[in-house]
Amino acid sequence: MTRRQQIKQFILGNFLFTDDESALADDTSLIQDGIIDSTGILELIMFLEETWSITVPPEDMTPAHFDSLVSIDQYLESRLAG
Amino acid sequence: MAARPWLAIAARHACNDDDTGIRVTTLAANPAKIAAIDPGRTAIQDGARRIDYATLSRAAIRLALTLRAEGVQIGDRVALILPNRIEAVIAWYGIWLAGAAVVPLNAQARERDFTPWLKHSGARLAIHETGHIDAESAATEVGVITLTVPAARDDVDWPPPDSSADSASEQTLPLPDSDALAAILYTSGTTGAPKGVALSHGNLAANVDAILDYLQLTDDDSIVTVLPFYYSYGASVLHTHLAAGARVVIEDNLVFPHLITQALAREQATGFSGVPSTFALLLDRGQLDQHDLSSLRYLTQAGGGMAPALTRRLREAIPQARLFVMYGQTEASARLTCLAPERLDDKLGSVGRAIKGVSIEVRREDGSRADANEHGEVWARGDNVMTGYWQAPEATAATLVDGWLRTGDLGHLDAEGFLWLAGRRSDMIKTGAHRVHPADVEEVIAEMPGVAEVAVTGIDDALLGQVVAAFVVRAGDTPTEMAIKAHCRQRLAIYKIPKRIDFVDALPKTASGKIRRAALTGEPQ
Repeated sequence: MTRRQQIKQFILGNFLFTDDESALADDTSLIQDGIIDSTGILELIMFLEETWSITVPPEDMTPAHFDSLVSIDQYLESRLAG
Repeated sequence: MAARPWLAIAARHACNDDDTGIRVTTLAANPAKIAAIDPGRTAIQDGARRIDYATLSRAAIRLALTLRAEGVQIGDRVALILPNRIEAVIAWYGIWLAGAAVVPLNAQARERDFTPWLKHSGARLAIHETGHIDAESAATEVGVITLTVPAARDDVDWPPPDSSADSASEQTLPLPDSDALAAILYTSGTTGAPKGVALSHGNLAANVDAILDYLQLTDDDSIVTVLPFYYSYGASVLHTHLAAGARVVIEDNLVFPHLITQALAREQATGFSGVPSTFALLLDRGQLDQHDLSSLRYLTQAGGGMAPALTRRLREAIPQARLFVMYGQTEASARLTCLAPERLDDKLGSVGRAIKGVSIEVRREDGSRADANEHGEVWARGDNVMTGYWQAPEATAATLVDGWLRTGDLGHLDAEGFLWLAGRRSDMIKTGAHRVHPADVEEVIAEMPGVAEVAVTGIDDALLGQVVAAFVVRAGDTPTEMAIKAHCRQRLAIYKIPKRIDFVDALPKTASGKIRRAALTGEPQ
């Protein structure tokens, strides 16, 4: 399973409550579409930190990094590369 | 409704008295009043967009004329289904200038909420963003005409300047009377009869007047607001600041709390309002110590009791800001009491004393007045208290008694008249800034095959105060936890989806068969 698929599975299971992969497109806005709220973002970041052994500093918690599967994946890639 | 030349009034008004000596108790004219004095003053900021008082006033007039052209008449209700954005503010004032009442509906709600609200309010028209499928479906089902706002937040040109109404901009619009219906705010859910708090223009104006009295807002003030305008607290923040000629900076949400802090610093905001979870999020993840917040003059907190430890942390984090702890209800327009910042040390935990124009009493079960420090129900009276529940005479009669509002909240008054709350006679769940009625969630879960019975209650949560929990009794092929949540997600706003689902053998009940919700969470009976 690719990294993006892992993130997708987490979001599907924990916020959309489904295993239907078509329920979430790569560019779906998690915030504008009401998929993730202020507590959901914490759960998502905890998942990323635990799964890939990274630390997400508070200043990185912006819509640019966490608003879609694509942006999360790109952010993760930059953290892992760094 | 008294007919007064609108533009003349707008130009003349610097105070609340017209030339007949009659007090003009409506907020509807406020943007025009400020515009007459300082047209270029910024009223609302919404991301990169901003609108000054003159433009806001003109847009509201244009919308009023558009609504009239669409058939909206004096006394009609107009549903307003928008998130916080400039157009929502234009809509509040435009609807009022059209002589209609605003029915602000939670923009996150679903079709199963909108349909009964639209039916019950008898809305003539609904305003919503393009592409809001649930609002569209409900409006179609109920037969309500709609006016849409582009979902994209580009320029502020709504309603469009070339609308047919624009040519009539010189015509006069009468201001609504004090006792005319200004808003219906739905507090209860959709199960059974919806409960809509009917507020008059006089109610709202009285409460704004009282709040201005203690907050001492001026046109130099500016507030960053995250509270939805469709709830009474958020609406109150909006209207009080516009009454003062202040600047309201809209921030979308609290998903990224440090962005709120950045906005406070960037905008040199003088004020900020929140519920306990707002401040908890800001203190935990807002990086308050990394920004210059020295411009903050006042903070207001309402929406449920805030833990004393959190209050102390907040005061330490932003020491120069005066923190006003407030208590109220939608039924009271918004506010009933306020704890002055100077009394936070010796009265920490109290919600303060009655605000200007409000009387508070604590009464016994038999309706008699309780002694100081004696526990009872909180009753309130004032010009800010609702006219009643819309189209619900029985509920109104049970809540408004001899001119007093029975709040349903429990507590006591101390010898100095400070109110101390201790619980509520209601099953309502308070989660963050939202209120959830258990029956709304229970009804949705009970629809599923394999669910024999379900009870929903609030369980304590460090951040949100409470979160929704569902207790399900199985019947045969019971759905999984994920299936129940998925079912809820399709039908309920996100904040109503249970965070926790427990499967139980039976629900605790009283001898008469009523569910004992407190027993579900192991609370003492």
